[in-house]
Amino acid sequence: MSDLLIWIVIVGLTAVTVATRSAFLVLGERFGLPERVQHGLRYAPACALVGLIAPELALANGSLALSLANPKLVAGIAAGAIMLGTRSMIAAIAVGMLAFTALRLLAA
Amino acid sequence: MILKRVFGADPAIAARRRHAFVRGLRAVAPATIATGTWGLVTGVAMVKVGLTTAQALGMTLLVYAGSAQLAALPLIAAAAPIWVVLLTATVVNLRFVIFSAGLRPFFRRFSLGRRLFLGYVTTDIGFALFLSRFVNAPDEERDSPEQVWFFLGMAAGNWIAWQTMSVLGIFLAGQIPGAWGLEFASILALVAMTLPMINSRPALVGAVTAGVVAVLGAALPLKLGLVAAVVIGIAAAMSAEVLLERIGART
Repeated sequence: MSDLLIWIVIVGLTAVTVATRSAFLVLGERFGLPERVQHGLRYAPACALVGLIAPELALANGSLALSLANPKLVAGIAAGAIMLGTRSMIAAIAVGMLAFTALRLLAA
Repeated sequence: MILKRVFGADPAIAARRRHAFVRGLRAVAPATIATGTWGLVTGVAMVKVGLTTAQALGMTLLVYAGSAQLAALPLIAAAAPIWVVLLTATVVNLRFVIFSAGLRPFFRRFSLGRRLFLGYVTTDIGFALFLSRFVNAPDEERDSPEQVWFFLGMAAGNWIAWQTMSVLGIFLAGQIPGAWGLEFASILALVAMTLPMINSRPALVGAVTAGVVAVLGAALPLKLGLVAAVVIGIAAAMSAEVLLERIGART
């Protein structure tokens, strides 16, 4: 992306922050959100984040790499396991990066 | 002088506001370790993905939304269309739309500008701590100065922790060799952030579906695979919910 485009994205993201976080503080009098929609929206963030993460971990150079030889996949699983076990984001990132680095060094 | 402008000239009112503000700061303090780490990782990741120092500083100071920023970075790196970046950030931020509905009864009396500001400084931790503390407050106590100043105290603590560490990360990033692959830490941070959100069987079905769709659709142009992953993931989660209820009702 060009410098100008990145700045446009930054300004756009700022608008997204304000719009989503103050949505019902501002529009609350006029609009209510139907129960069903509210319900469905609860699943949206997790779906979006998994949708971002999965290709980063499961693909290597654009093709499926579901093997222990894929450092990103193994590191991601390790970080996930640590997160589930300890609930510590710091530990999860640290162990994940260690696994990622160790596997890349081994492969090289 | 500055304190007088922040908390108001009337000493009695100012004291009440200040006490509530400090209580908010104290309440958020334990969470600032996690917030700070998250900010540091985000700061480093912004630079590692190719943003200039000015852009990274602009992003952290203006956007002020860690998950949306981290979600936007791989898309910026892949030169995805702007609408895809903004749509993704919006979806990642949808939880705040629901939070804002929860906060509305507390901030009704404020002007439009102030409500926009109170919304802007809402964070996951801030919302959770605020609501768990005041959700059972009687209606006549809502909108009280105690509540809004407690909220502002938490917001200030969170903002300072986040921005300090994020700026530190931006300046440290240049000292860290590219060969370390530290930008991958931002993906790991997303992993750590996402897992606690998958807290029910329908959510798990939705997440797995979204992951499979995203991988299968990764080659689609305009990052449409991600858009499809979200839509199909939500549909799968809601279908799973209905199915699980039926199974539960039968047995």
